[in-house]
Order: sequence, then C-alpha cells, then structure tokens
Amino acid sequence: MRKRIYLFALVALLAVALLAAGCGGSKDAPKAAGGDTIKIGFLGGKTGAHAHYGIETLKGMQMAVDDINKAGGVLGKKLEIVEGDHGSNSSEAANVTQKMITQKVVAIVGDPTTGITKTAAQICQPAKVVLLSAGAVGTGVVEIGDYIYRDTLLDAVAAPAVTKYLSEELKWKKVALVTTTGLSYSESLTAIFKPALAKYGVEIVAEQSIMEKDTNFSAQVTSLSQKSFDGVIFTGYYTEGALFMKEMRKQGLNQVMAGGDGLLGQELYQLGEKAVEGSMVYAGFAVDSKNAVGITKEFIDKYQAKNNNSKPDMFAAQGYDAVMMLAEAMKKANSADPTVFKEALAKTKDFKGVTGTITFDANREPIKSPVYLQEVKNSEFVVKTVIPTA
Amino acid sequence: MFFQQLVNGVTLGATYALIALGYTMVYGIIQLINFAHGEVYMIGAFVGLIMVAVYKVNFFIALLAAMAVCIPLAVLIERVAYRPLRNSTRLAPLISALGVSIFLQTLVTLIKGDPNPLGFPHVIQDTVYALGPVKFSLIQVVILIVASLLMVFLEITVKYTKIGKAMRATSEDYETANLMGINVNHVVSFTFAAGAALAAAGGVLVGMYFNSINPFMGVTVGLKSFCAAVVGGIGSIPGAMLGGLLLGIAEVFGVAAGFDTYKEAISFGLLIIILLFRPTGLLGHPIQRKV
Repeated sequence: MRKRIYLFALVALLAVALLAAGCGGSKDAPKAAGGDTIKIGFLGGKTGAHAHYGIETLKGMQMAVDDINKAGGVLGKKLEIVEGDHGSNSSEAANVTQKMITQKVVAIVGDPTTGITKTAAQICQPAKVVLLSAGAVGTGVVEIGDYIYRDTLLDAVAAPAVTKYLSEELKWKKVALVTTTGLSYSESLTAIFKPALAKYGVEIVAEQSIMEKDTNFSAQVTSLSQKSFDGVIFTGYYTEGALFMKEMRKQGLNQVMAGGDGLLGQELYQLGEKAVEGSMVYAGFAVDSKNAVGITKEFIDKYQAKNNNSKPDMFAAQGYDAVMMLAEAMKKANSADPTVFKEALAKTKDFKGVTGTITFDANREPIKSPVYLQEVKNSEFVVKTVIPTA
Repeated sequence: MFFQQLVNGVTLGATYALIALGYTMVYGIIQLINFAHGEVYMIGAFVGLIMVAVYKVNFFIALLAAMAVCIPLAVLIERVAYRPLRNSTRLAPLISALGVSIFLQTLVTLIKGDPNPLGFPHVIQDTVYALGPVKFSLIQVVILIVASLLMVFLEITVKYTKIGKAMRATSEDYETANLMGINVNHVVSFTFAAGAALAAAGGVLVGMYFNSINPFMGVTVGLKSFCAAVVGGIGSIPGAMLGGLLLGIAEVFGVAAGFDTYKEAISFGLLIIILLFRPTGLLGHPIQRKV
C-alpha cells in the first residue's frame, strides 16, 4: 500500500514537471520565431579564472551593437546579444553553446580561449551557426569547418615578428622557455616559438614545464638558475606568469619575460607587482594614446567615457571588431542567414577594424597587422613598440 | 643543484607538516579525519592577507592574528559539527566534516565575491642568503624558523605540560581518561585549537611564499597534508612532521626531474607504496584492537 502511494506521488511529480517544461517552451517560442532582432551570442566566462577576457570581450561587443543599432541596425533589424557565460569552465562551455543555438543565434562571438573555441566549434559547425572567436590564437581552430572564424592576431604571425625584435633590437641570444603543459594555448605557442627562435639565432638553454593553477615554482626556477640566459619566453597565462616571475626574483634571478596575449591582463602586475616590471607581452591591440587615429581613436574615447576612463584592452577591441565584421558580412550578403552570410565573411579583405587591418586568407585564417609589443611599466601596460607584420 | 632543490623541498614540506599535525592530533584523540582542517588553513591565509594588506601590520602580528581567528573557529567547528555526533557512527562526523569544508569554501567565495586568486603583498624582502653553493631566500628562512619553533613548542606542550599529559592519556584511551577525571571535552577543544593555530600559521606562510591565495587552496593542500599524516603514521606527532617533509621533498624532486604533470601522482603514489609496506605509516603504532 505504502509503495503505491510513493509511486503515485512520483508519477504526479513527473507529470507536473513535464507540464511546467511544456509551458516554458510555449512561452519562449514566439520570441525566438518573432525575428525582430538579429541575435548574436557571446561565449565566454564572466567569472572564474579567465573572467577578464570574457568581460572585456562582452563590453566591446556591446559597444559595437550599440553603434550599429544607433545607425539603424542591420537589414532593418536591431542586433541583440545573447550571453553564454560558462564561468571559465570548459566542461560547461558545450552546454552554454548548445543553449545559445536553441535560442536561435545566427552567430556566436567567442570564446576568448583557444581550447573552448575548439569545443564550441564542434557544436557550431554541424548546427550551421557562425562562430567568430575574438581571442583564439592557437592552431587547429578554423580547420574545424567553414563556419568557424577568428579575428585575432595569430601567434604564427606575431611570435616570429616579436622574436625578430628580441633578437635584433634587444640582443637576446639565450632564452629559457617555460610552457604550461596541458594548456592547449601554451603548448601551441611553444611550438611556434621554437622554430622562430632557431631562425633568428636565439638559443634555448633551458626548458621548464609548469601546470595551470600551480603556485609553487621553486623547483623549476632553481633548475633555471643553473643556466645563464637573457630572458624568459613564457607561453602560459598571466596568473602563473606573475607567480613564476615572483619566484625568480625570490631566488635572485633578474631576467624579464616575454610572452603572448595570455599574459595580458591587469592581474599580471596586480599579482606580480615589482617582479613583472619590464616584462613584455605582445598583442593584436593596445592603447597607444599618442599615435591612435581614426576609428581606433574613436573606439578608445568611447570606451573610456563609458568605463571610468580605464583603457580598453585587446579583448574589448577584438570583440568590437568581431561584431562589426559580422554586421558587414550580413549587409554584403543581404542576409542574416548564417549559411548565406558566411560566404561574404570568408571573403573579408582589408577590413578596417579598430585593431588594424584584417584579411581572411584562402584558409579563412586572419592576416593582421600590426603587432603591439607592450611592456609593464609602473604597474601598467605601455606600448613599447609597434611591429608591422610582413 | 641537489641541495638547492632539497631546500625547496624542505620548505614546502615544512608547510605540509604544519597542517599534517592538525590532522594527526585530532585523529589521535577522537579518531576523526577532520576534512575541514584544510579550510582552517585557507581562512588563516585570508586573515593574514587582510591584516597585511588592510591594517598594514608586520608579518608576525599577521601570523598571530590568523591564529587568533582560527583557534576559536576550529573550536566552534568542533562544538557545532563534531561534538553532537561524538557517540554516533564514525561515518557521521566524517560527513559532517566534509559539509563544514564545503560550507567554509563557499562562504569565503561569497564574502570575497569571486573564486579568483589574490596576491599577497610584499611583506618580506627578496633577500637571498648564500650558504656555500646553496641559496636561501629570506622567506624560506622565515618559514623554516617559524615552522620549527611551532613544532618544538607543540612537542614541549604535549610532553611536559599538564594539558599535554591529558592529551596523551585521552589519545591512549578516551573512556578511561574520562573515568580518571580528565575533562575530555577540554582536551578535544585544546587539540582542535592547537591544530588550528599551526594550520593558520601554515596558511600565512604559504600565502607569502607562493604569493597567491584562493578560497579553494585548502582542498589539495589539505589532502596532501592528510596524506603526509598517514605516511608518517596517523596519530603520531613526529610522524606528521616526517611525512610532511618527505612529501614536500618528493614533490619538488619530481618536478625538478621534469614530471610536473605527475606531481600529485608522486605524492599519492608515495602514500600507496609506504602503506603497502607499513600499513600504520612510518612512525605509527601497531594497530591495537580496543575491546
């Protein structure tokens, strides 16, 4: 008798749950089918370890959407951002992407990291939704399919240009190379730096590996202290980069490091303090107040007006450019259907963005110029030099 | 190079040992694995950071403040989460401990606002002392001295004071100690307090050494220190010190040999190997079945 009551209760509960789900679905349906706006998804983390990238990308996207909507929108419709926050959690990323697709986004801007972009690409490609990453710089991204794009300065373009500068201008002849193992971004960047260093005659005298979320680097730094070198090439993210430099100073090593945009974020000097002074980070965008002109200057001014005078970084700028490129492709194709406007997107040539010029090559990879090499000075990123890529 | 890495290993090991002592003492008295201990260490680190960053006090005051906060915290945890369950099955307080652990992690994340790591202000200069070919950074020296002092202090307390005697008696036989007029509740509270003081110190030291603290830092370190306590022989105070040092050295040498990815595997592999040959740990007493 008792068992039966439980069973009944269970069935009743299930019925209520199904009913509720059904109701929810019918409420959402007209909104999705209404189509008075064009929905663009944002994929990134607003919290967690890479929150900085996500938040800035979203800010840039929002500015682009506002600018476009103020000028009348795209194809007579307003743009709308659908937020997909995965909390810097790669296992959440697939769910969030899937959810945005069911919300009928025509394109997704994101993820700022290479690893999660690849995960999302596997979902977007079969679903025929354009994925335009405003941050993925590693290898093997656009190869996933013809719906996958990015508007970043590729490490394959930037790292050799920076290596040339380190070797010819700063006279680095010997370096220590530090890689974050298990981090797709870091491993591919190391693979790009190795031949570049060899090409410009810089010798790798020591190689060390660390892991994400490590806080103790005493063993690795002690190993490095046995060698003499001019600088460190660090291919990981800012948290570990800052702590690694602190450990070097603690052990009396005074070399600076150079690395990719994984080191870009105020967390680098907030955590690293004096230890990261002089460290160099290259990126596809930086605020060069003295030399900025045209739309780049407009973008910087607008961002500063909105954000208490703080300067936009690369992620905000690339987020802005990503939305602008999508809008331009939709206008050219005269369609907001991803199966149609992706063709126009692939043909993007000499697009003038706030980060510089962008052209997609035959493999849909972005060719960008220039590279902004920045240096930490008094706890701030300052443009050290702007290197045009060949 | 070898001695240099040894210094790194011993420094890391000393911090593990400080935390392992808390596990081992509590286990010795009430046979409870206090999984919330790692969180006491984490909170110690945060209190130290607040003292240094907001109140600009020097390192020793920060250390004392962290202890002053963590001691009542640990006593409170015992009073609220473990004492009511003392006479229930042994599994109940263990689950309760896990609950407290998750509660404290989430609480600190909520108060802090996000789970991201915070840097520790520069309170100790990056001075390096050379002893022949081996270099000690000032912070390593501080860690080694503070950890040794605390451990000596603990050893004296346990061996030569009245409360220490009561601790040893309670550890030997809880029921009989109770019957002999020892207030076991006081002894248990004192044990938690002593463990918490050491963990709080460990938290502040590690925070300064690695310059980075976060609400979840207690999880891995707690597990490793627990592992150190088991390796040394759970319930044995010198065992916890030895276990901590061994684990720290093994980890550093593993990383130095290029097995950074397998760092955790090294610690826990060591645990398995030692337990296979010595099920009661290196300095553990042979198992006595209580009737």
